[in-house]
Amino acid sequence: MNYNAAQTSAPKPPAAAIPYICAECGSENEIKPKEPIRCKECGYRIMYKKRTKRMVQFEAR
Amino acid sequence: MLSKSLDEAKADIKMDLKEAKEHADAHFGGKGLTDPIPTVETIHPPPNRFQDKWRLLPAFLKVKGLVKQHIDSFNYFINVDLEKIIKANERVKSDVDPHFYLKYTGIRVGAPERPDLEAMNRSYTPHECRLRDLTYSANIYVDVEYVRGRQIVRRKGVPIGRMPIMLRSSHCVLTGKSELDLAKMTECPLDPGGYFVVKGVEKVILVQEQMSKNRIIVDVDRKGFVQAGVTSSTMERKSKTYVGTKNGKIYLKHNSIAEDIPIVVALKAMGMQSDKEITQLVCGQESKYIDKFSPNLEECSKMKIFTQQQALDYIGTKVKAPKRSFGPGIRRPAAEEALDVLATVVLAHVEVQDNNFRPKCIYVAVMTRRVVMAMLRGDLVDDRDYVGNKRLELAGQLLSLLFEDLFKKFNSDLKMNIDKVLKKPNRTQEFDVYGQILIHGDHITSGFVRAISSGNWSLKRFKMERAGITQVLSRLSFISALGMMTRISSQFEKTRKVSGPRALQPSQWGMLCPSDTPEGEACGLVKNLALMTHITVDDEEEPLVKLAFILGVEDVSLLTGPEVYLPETFMVFLNGNILGITRHSKQFVAAFRRMRRAGRISEFVSIFISDHHNSVHISCDGGRICRPLIIVEKGKPRVRSEHIEQLSAGNLSFDDFLRLGLIEYLDVNEESDSNIALYEREIIPESTHVEIEPFTILGAVAGLIPYPHHNQSPRNTYQCAMGKQAIGAIAYNQFNRIDTLLYLMVYPQQPMVKTKTIEMIGYDKLPAGQNATVAVMSNSGYDIEDALVLNKASLDRGYGRCQVLRKYATLLRQYSNGSYDRLADPPVHPDDPTIVQERFEVLDKDGIASVGERIKPGQVYINKQMPTNTSSDVGVNSRDPTANAYKNAPMSYKSAMEGYVDKVLMTTTENDQTLIKALIRQTRRPELGDKFSSRHGQKGVCGIIIQQEDMPFSDLGICPDIIMNPHGFPSRMTVGKMIELLAGKAGVLKGQLQYGTAFGGSKVEDMSRILIENGFSYSGKDYVTSGVTGEPLSAYIYFGPVYYQKLKHMVMDKMHSRSRGPRAVLTRQPTEGRSRDGGLRLGEMERDCLIGYGASMLLLERLMISSDIFEIHVCEMCGLLGYAGWCQHCKSSKGMAKMQIPYACKLLFQELQSMNVIPRLQLENVF
Repeated sequence: MNYNAAQTSAPKPPAAAIPYICAECGSENEIKPKEPIRCKECGYRIMYKKRTKRMVQFEAR
Repeated sequence: MLSKSLDEAKADIKMDLKEAKEHADAHFGGKGLTDPIPTVETIHPPPNRFQDKWRLLPAFLKVKGLVKQHIDSFNYFINVDLEKIIKANERVKSDVDPHFYLKYTGIRVGAPERPDLEAMNRSYTPHECRLRDLTYSANIYVDVEYVRGRQIVRRKGVPIGRMPIMLRSSHCVLTGKSELDLAKMTECPLDPGGYFVVKGVEKVILVQEQMSKNRIIVDVDRKGFVQAGVTSSTMERKSKTYVGTKNGKIYLKHNSIAEDIPIVVALKAMGMQSDKEITQLVCGQESKYIDKFSPNLEECSKMKIFTQQQALDYIGTKVKAPKRSFGPGIRRPAAEEALDVLATVVLAHVEVQDNNFRPKCIYVAVMTRRVVMAMLRGDLVDDRDYVGNKRLELAGQLLSLLFEDLFKKFNSDLKMNIDKVLKKPNRTQEFDVYGQILIHGDHITSGFVRAISSGNWSLKRFKMERAGITQVLSRLSFISALGMMTRISSQFEKTRKVSGPRALQPSQWGMLCPSDTPEGEACGLVKNLALMTHITVDDEEEPLVKLAFILGVEDVSLLTGPEVYLPETFMVFLNGNILGITRHSKQFVAAFRRMRRAGRISEFVSIFISDHHNSVHISCDGGRICRPLIIVEKGKPRVRSEHIEQLSAGNLSFDDFLRLGLIEYLDVNEESDSNIALYEREIIPESTHVEIEPFTILGAVAGLIPYPHHNQSPRNTYQCAMGKQAIGAIAYNQFNRIDTLLYLMVYPQQPMVKTKTIEMIGYDKLPAGQNATVAVMSNSGYDIEDALVLNKASLDRGYGRCQVLRKYATLLRQYSNGSYDRLADPPVHPDDPTIVQERFEVLDKDGIASVGERIKPGQVYINKQMPTNTSSDVGVNSRDPTANAYKNAPMSYKSAMEGYVDKVLMTTTENDQTLIKALIRQTRRPELGDKFSSRHGQKGVCGIIIQQEDMPFSDLGICPDIIMNPHGFPSRMTVGKMIELLAGKAGVLKGQLQYGTAFGGSKVEDMSRILIENGFSYSGKDYVTSGVTGEPLSAYIYFGPVYYQKLKHMVMDKMHSRSRGPRAVLTRQPTEGRSRDGGLRLGEMERDCLIGYGASMLLLERLMISSDIFEIHVCEMCGLLGYAGWCQHCKSSKGMAKMQIPYACKLLFQELQSMNVIPRLQLENVF
C-alpha cells in the first residue's frame, strides 16, 4: 500500500517550518528550501537541528 | 710426578704474569689492556649530577612541538620561498607590444578568510572548514607594476589565488592562541597541526625521503662498475651526471649527451688541455692513481683530441639537440652546442660564470679522483642507505615546486591573454592588466586544491609525476593522527628485493624511530621521526662563504693538483660545491663550530671532516635530519644543574640553551664526526657531546610502550602498529566533529604505568585504553590462542565500552535545467495523519530525522527526492506533470545495530548547495570476538564472557577484569608487560602513577618493596580462590593492572552470513563481499581438497547448483546452443537435449563465438 503523498505531482513544501539553531550565536532560524543557509542574526552558515520533543528511552545495558 | 709438573706450571704462569707486569709498566705506563677505561668521574669527583636534564625535552617540545618540521617548512615556504619564486619569475612581457611589461614587486599571503564577500566576519576557523567541506585557505596578494597606455601603474595587494594554509603555521588563526581561545574556536589544544583542511578533509603531506642533491655519491652499478653520480638541482633544472668506469676507463655520462664521453675529452672540452694538468688535478702525485688513470690519457690521444676545439667538436656531435623555441632553421655549430651543454646542463649546480670553466673542471676532476680511489679500494664506495646521504622533503618544498609550476602557468596564460588583447588594432578602452589578473585567479587556487586533495604532484617542468604524496589524516585515535604527522615515506619501489633500504641503519640512531615501521610490504621503507628530530630548512650561503674565507680557506682555482692533494690539505665543500682548501682543517672546523655556538651563524649549519676524502663539508641546505645534544667541553657537560634549575623555574627556555652554547644541533654527518657519550658517567676525555636523554631515540608512538627495553624488539614494532588502532579519546573537540567514522571510548583512563613521552605528547590527556585488572592464568579453555576471558560485571560497569559515530551526508543539488533536489515530509496515512509507516517513524516534518531519535536498521533519516528530469530544459509554466515529477531517493540507515541520531547539520557549501550531514551514534559494549591488546604487541580476542560469580578472586575480594593465558609469554618474551603489571600494582597500592620510560623507569626492586610494604608478595603473585568451586587455586596467580586497549576491529562490523542473496548481473554468481551481502567463496584450494577427496557431488553442488546453474538446450547435430528446443543453426528441433551448466560456462561459449571461435558440445549418455 502506497500512501506516499509526496510523490504525487504538485511539489509540496514542508508544512510547518522547523526551527534550526545557529552554531555561532545560538539563535533560532527557519530554513527555507532553495535559499542559502545563513543566520539572520550573525550571518553564520552552519545550522544544527534541534533535539526531538518526543520521549526517548535508552536501554541501560 | 703430576703434582710436580703442576707446580712447575704454576710457577711458570707466575713468572709470565710478572714479566707481563714489568712489560706493561715499561710500555703502557702501568696500565693493562683489561683495565677499565677511566671516566672523568673517577679522575675528578662529579661536580653535580644533572639527572633532570630530561627536562630539556619538554622545553624542546614546547619550542619546537612534535610536528614543528612541517610547520617550519611551511612557514619558510610562505614567508621566504614565495618571494624567491616571484623574484625568479618577476617579469611578464608581451610579444606584441614591446613597451608593455608587468613586474611583480612583492608577494604576501593574507590571513585565512572565507571566500564569500558578503560575510560580516571574513575570518574563519579550521573547524568551520571541516564542517562545511571548505578549504582552509588564504588569499595570495602580489604587488605589481605594469604599463597602462603610456604610464606605469603600481598596485599593491592584487589577489592572484588562494593558498591552503597549514594548521598552526604562522598564518593560521590558531597559532599563539591560549587554550581558552582554542576552545572558543572548537579546536583541540593538543592537536599538533601541520596538516591542511581541503574540501573539509584533513590532508597530510607526508615527509618524503630522497637521496641528497648536489652531493657526489660513489656507488657500484648493476654491472659491478664503480661510478660517481651527482644529482644537480638548481632552480632552473634538475639533472643527473655520472663519472663512471667502463673497461677500466673513465667516462662522463649525462642524459643530454647520447654517448659516454671519455673523461679526458670532457676535461679538454672544458678548457683543460694539458695532460699533465689533468693528471695532477685528478691524481696528485700518487703513482698508483696515475697508473690507474693513464689509460684514459692514452685513449684520448688515440682519438687524436688534443685541443679544446677538437674536444668540443667531438662532444658536439653527440649532444642531443635541445628543443629550442627560436626558429628551427638556425642551428648553432656543434662545438658551441657542446660548450653550452657543458656549461649549463652537465653538473648544473656548479656555476660557470663568464665562461670560466675552472671550478667545473676541478669538480669533474674530484669526481674522477673519487672513482679512481674507489677502483683501487672497494671500501671507499659510499653507502646509499646512510642517513647522512638522505634528505627529507617536507610540505614546504613540495608546495613550493607546485606553486612555481602554477605561477609559471599563470604567467604564460596571462601573457597569452595580454597578447590577444594587445593584438587588436583599436581597442575601445585603454588596456589594464589588472582585470586580467583577477580573471585568472582560479588557476592557482584549483591547482593547489587538486594537488592536495588527490595527492598527485604532476609538474611538467621537472618531469615530476608522483602520486600518493598526501594522505587523509587518520583520526582513529589521537596517536594515529600523531603517528601520521611523523611518518616518512620513501621513494624507493616496494617491489625491489634488496634489503638495504629496509634495514635498520646505525646512523638513524636518535633521528628515526627504530621500532615504528609497518609490517609487510612497506616494512622499513616507511619510517617515523624520533622524538627530538628536527629537519632543517634552506639557509643563506653567502655569509658562510665569507666566514669560510675569513677563517683561512684558499681559493682552489689558484692551485694546482699536487698542492690540492697534499696530505695536510683538506678540500672545503659548501653544500656539495667546492669552496676551496684549508691547510689547518682541525682548527678551521673548530673555529667554525665556535662561531655556530656563539650564534654568529645559523644553529643548523653543520660542518664535519671526512678523513676518507681529506675534505671538510659545510652544509646549510634544507631537509637534513638533525637533533640537539649537550656540548661537552674538557670532559664536562656544559649544561649544569644550575641551568636545569633555571629551566625548571622558567627563567630559561630551550632557545636560551642554544644561545648560551650549552646545546647544539648536529646532523647525521656531523654526528658521525663527534664523540657522543650516552650518559654523563660515560664521558671520556675525547667526548664532545652527551645525549640529552636516551629514550628520545624512540618516536612518539613507540614512546607509549612501558619498559620497551625489556621487550623483544618485534613486539614493540607490533605495538606501534596497534597503538594506532586503539579506540580512545581523539581530541578535546571530538563531540563537535562530524567525521566519516569516529570511534570513541566511553571512559578512557590514563595508564597506571606512564612514560615521560606519554606526558609530553599528551596521551595522558587523550588516552586510548583502560587499566584492566589482569590475572595471568588459564581459565575455561576458551582462552587458547591468545583469547581473553572477560568479566561480565566489568562490562556492565562500562569496561571497554565504546561509541561509533558515523557521518551520513548528502547534497541538495541544483541541476543545470533549474530543477533541484528537495526534502519531503514523511508520508502519512491518507485517512489518519497520525499514522506513519515504521520506516519513516523518526522523520521530522522537514524530512530529516530528529536529533536524539532512536533509529532502527532500515529506517529513513533523510527523505530526499530527486527530480526525474535533470537534463532537458523545463519551461517554467510547463503543465506537463512528468516534466517536474520527483522520484524518491531516501537515505536509510543500514547497520546491524540500532543507533541514535546524534547531530544533524545543515549548511551551504562554496557553490551554494545545501549540505546536510547527519551523525548517527552507536554505543557498543564488548562482545565475543572483539579485539583487545596490551601495550606490548599482545593482541587477543574476547573468547568468553564469564559471570563475576564464576571468576576467581583474591583474598581481598578482587576479581580480574581480564584473564589472560600465560602461554602468551614464553614465546613472545614481552618481559615489559610483566614489569608493567608489577609497577601498576605497586602504583595502585601506593596511590601514585609509576613510570615505565624506556631505558629507565621505576625499578622492579622498588616496586617489589612497595608490594611488600602493602602486604603483598614481592613477586606480584596472589593467592586466588576459584569462583566456581570455592577452593583455593593450586598456584599463586600473577595478578595486577595492565593497560589494555580496545582495538577498532569489532565483530559487529565483520560478522556476515548468507543463505540466499543477491547475484551479480553478468555472471549470475553470488556477489562478493560483506557490503554487498555476498556469498562465502569456495576457493581454488578448497576445490582442490574436494577433488582430492573425490566428493564430486558436493563439488557439483557448491560450484554449480548453489551458484549459477543454468538450463541450456543443445543441438546434438551441430553442438551449438539452441533455445526452447529449437536449434537456430540447423533450423530444426530434432536432437535437441536439455542440460544444466554453470551460467559462466554458457557465457564463455557465447564470448568465444563473438570472437569467431565456435565451441561445440558433444553429448554422450553417461548412465
